[in-house]
Amino acid sequence: MIKLKQGFIYAFLTIVSIISIFPFFFMLVSATNKSIDVTRGSLLPGAHLIENIKSLLATVDIGQAMLNSGVIAIVTTVLSLVIASLAGYGFEIYQSKAKDIVFNILLLSMMIPFAVLMVPLFRMFGSISQVAPAIGIDTLPAAIIPTLTTAFLIFFFRQNTKLFPRALLEAGRIDGLSELGLFFRIYIPTMKTTYAAAAIITFMSSWNNYLWPLVILQSPENQTIPLLISNLGSSYSPDYGVIMLAIVIATLPTALIFFFLQKYFVAGMLGSVK
Amino acid sequence: METTNINKSVKQRRGKSKFKPKKGLSGWIFILISVILIFLFYFYPMLQALLLSFQSGPGVNLEFAGFENYIRLFSDSTFLTAVFNTFIFFLIQVPLMIVLGLIFSVMLNNKKLKFKGLFRTAIFLPAVTSLVAYSVIFKYLFSNDGIVNMILMNFSIISDPILWLSNPFWAKVLIILAITWRWVGYNMIFYLSALQNVDESIYEAARIDGASAFQQFTKITIPMLKPIILFTSITSTIGTLQLFDEPMNITSGGPGNATLTISQYIYNLSFRYTPDFGYAAAVSFAIVAMIVFFSIIQFKLAGDKK
Amino acid sequence: MRRKTLLLLSFVAILFVTACSSSSTSNGKGLEELTVWAWDPSFNIKALEMAEEEYKAEHPDFKLNIIENAQDDIIQKLNTTLSSGSTKGLPNIVLIEDYRAKSFLEAYPGSFYELTDKFDTSDFIPYKIAATSIEDKNYAIPFDTGSTGLYVRTDLLEQAGYTVEDLQNIDWNQYIEIGKDVKEATGKKLITNNHNDLGILRIMMQSSGTWYTEEDGVTTNIANNEALKIAFKVYKDLVDEDLMNVHSDWSQQIQALNSGKVASIPIGNWITPSIKAEESQTGDWAVAPIPSLPGMEESVHASNLGGASWYVLNIEGKEEAVDFLTTTFSSNVDFYQELVSEVGAIGTYIPGTEGKAYKAKDDYFGGQAIYEDFTNWSKEIPEVNYGMNTYAIEDIIIVAMQKYLQGGDLDTILETAQEQAEKQIR
Repeated sequence: MIKLKQGFIYAFLTIVSIISIFPFFFMLVSATNKSIDVTRGSLLPGAHLIENIKSLLATVDIGQAMLNSGVIAIVTTVLSLVIASLAGYGFEIYQSKAKDIVFNILLLSMMIPFAVLMVPLFRMFGSISQVAPAIGIDTLPAAIIPTLTTAFLIFFFRQNTKLFPRALLEAGRIDGLSELGLFFRIYIPTMKTTYAAAAIITFMSSWNNYLWPLVILQSPENQTIPLLISNLGSSYSPDYGVIMLAIVIATLPTALIFFFLQKYFVAGMLGSVK
Repeated sequence: METTNINKSVKQRRGKSKFKPKKGLSGWIFILISVILIFLFYFYPMLQALLLSFQSGPGVNLEFAGFENYIRLFSDSTFLTAVFNTFIFFLIQVPLMIVLGLIFSVMLNNKKLKFKGLFRTAIFLPAVTSLVAYSVIFKYLFSNDGIVNMILMNFSIISDPILWLSNPFWAKVLIILAITWRWVGYNMIFYLSALQNVDESIYEAARIDGASAFQQFTKITIPMLKPIILFTSITSTIGTLQLFDEPMNITSGGPGNATLTISQYIYNLSFRYTPDFGYAAAVSFAIVAMIVFFSIIQFKLAGDKK
Repeated sequence: MRRKTLLLLSFVAILFVTACSSSSTSNGKGLEELTVWAWDPSFNIKALEMAEEEYKAEHPDFKLNIIENAQDDIIQKLNTTLSSGSTKGLPNIVLIEDYRAKSFLEAYPGSFYELTDKFDTSDFIPYKIAATSIEDKNYAIPFDTGSTGLYVRTDLLEQAGYTVEDLQNIDWNQYIEIGKDVKEATGKKLITNNHNDLGILRIMMQSSGTWYTEEDGVTTNIANNEALKIAFKVYKDLVDEDLMNVHSDWSQQIQALNSGKVASIPIGNWITPSIKAEESQTGDWAVAPIPSLPGMEESVHASNLGGASWYVLNIEGKEEAVDFLTTTFSSNVDFYQELVSEVGAIGTYIPGTEGKAYKAKDDYFGGQAIYEDFTNWSKEIPEVNYGMNTYAIEDIIIVAMQKYLQGGDLDTILETAQEQAEKQIR
């Protein structure tokens, strides 16, 4: 009975995993095939990888796009983590009625569809351009700044701070740490796990962000990876092998970051204060 | 009896110790940057959009229109179709993603399970893909003579190819499949990390008290995960009601508005047709109203189950 | 930990500053450099590159900064930027599809630079001038023609006992009869179409000089539009007789053509390079005139699908942009010869279309002089006012078509569509 149940669980998880992985398999295989073989539904690796790489490099500047997306994602992740964890910590540890009201107001911002904000935001950066062109329209900072704070991330840190052992703060205070010192010296090291998870989430959503960069970035040299893929995909004579290769390259960083931080994630989990 | 035990240990773990934060301004300093940024980049543009929603006209030729835009909503059948579609996606998607996420996470939380890391990674992997990229892949996989149809036909499950992208019913199914594929693993990770925070001794105590696996699930797991379930259900609600990238990139809302969502209609009104930003803003406030409404309901539901 | 955090933060700060400075330097453009937004690298972008070379001969310092984006993305960026009231980030020249031109011109008055008297409008095919002007004011240098034809596989026709001769001067009903025979003989469907893109209805309507809106470009013309009604019936017949292969995007359409899945397609001449990409079908294709609408006397064997024109933004550099466009796209006969022979782009500049390259015979199409044929047809295209709302109305029509295909009553459906369009468009 138990064996049967075990067998069912393994079979179930295996099928689910295959479904989850199949599109990745398709994407990897297709990256090695000719366009025509991709459309014919070939599921076997081909010998066209080198040609696909060559023609990808010849048609688009994927290196520049990777660099742009990388700069945007890294800056966004680090700054967001600091800003949101400060707030999450502040809201939970220094809880007060007034702060709870502010917190609930901030949460409301999650309910605003981006399609509404787009035009007013663009207008705002239009006026910023007049005074400070370096952070105005068609600059990487403009792609970063409005995405720096999300209520989601603040909420995430606040939820996790609920599990944070406050006795540690008490101890830190006795050691003579300042309020900010408590945060940097005690909270951050203790909450590694939370930071790892938040970093994964933020990096991925920033790396993959499409609509705002599309609106605010115009020059080809500022193009990000999702913009590049969407351009390749909507071209009039798409080369599927090349598109799939571009998608593989675009997915690699987020996949690697996940794998890398996942280990840290698990380790942090085991070693974290219970 | 069991429940009181659990509540006790929960309280102990979260134990609010004697730590008293300093009163005064120091707490506000922590939240200051966030508050400024959110007001600047969410609420201020939102206010502008609100003002816009009382105007109407093509492009920059906007004129004051009072509540005309809001009245127009109710006789606009494209808008009503978009609301209906969004609602269908929401009704199916949110429970589906929560239930699947919970099932997977409980299965993977089993200490005796082998290849746990492998399964977890496989199921989470879709969440690392960009929406643009995975939409492109899904469009190919599900095209009329794409691989999915080939496989289904090889196994004689269907005799004619399913027109995933050209049939109103199957197009909806495809969008649901795609979103489920992309997001279930993401939700699962939240549950899994919450489960790993649950003290194993609680389960042991429950087993000693003779609770079955199902009872353990409903009496321990669900209550322990309640905050995180509420959290994911609200983020899923918000995500589904604002659904844009997938229908935009996979079906472009078609065929014949069968997968058109409200966000996409806003996009069309602002950027595909002769833009009427005023009316588009009014439509967007309809989404805001829906999100607020459903979030309140979810909070209420979660509160009542205490 | 604190030190590590500080280190990380300063690293990020450096990244941020580099990001600022790198972007700002790229924005410093001299007046010799003009920026253009356009789509389709194998067609429009190539044409621009050729124009740049041409212009450089006399202006060696000139540089054209061509920014390629998908057409939908260009429309969205243009709308966002123009509506923000900021001129920052705007290009000097932008390519806009003729169907959408009026939408932009009406929505953003003053944003586009008026080109009246900057070039000789009589040099261009009249329907193109109509599509790019408002109240006799011209706003664009016309570019390619969307002149349509019926691309057919002659080898498949022959198997059913037909030749291209049988396709001259026929109407859609006659073509459907031919299609049935072709399908019986070869098993191939007659055409391929996307239920979400009713370009074929637009072809049929314009061939009889009507549109979704009346001549004023504003009054909705659906319920009493005889041509549209007939077009609906023809469309349903094509579906009911199983003569229509259904694709869902551009690449599937090309695939259906290149893989020999269908026997023909009624479409704009810009499809030529995509069809010719399949070398194994050399000699198997021909282009016949578009069938007319049955029972419509006005309907001719010529129509239009797509086609775009060059617009100049009313910002610094406009005079330079006009000079660039007029020396290339509106006065240079040789340039148009190169465009045809190298890109396959058929212009609407009449002196250009009388040149030698337009008479060239194409072996891919069995030695047919297709460019000359398309040009001749393009002169017969009835003028219609596309108005501001072509795509908004078409989205309503797409829904109506779905209902009709499922067996609804045509008059009721079109009346509902009319009401809805009237409500939505103002």
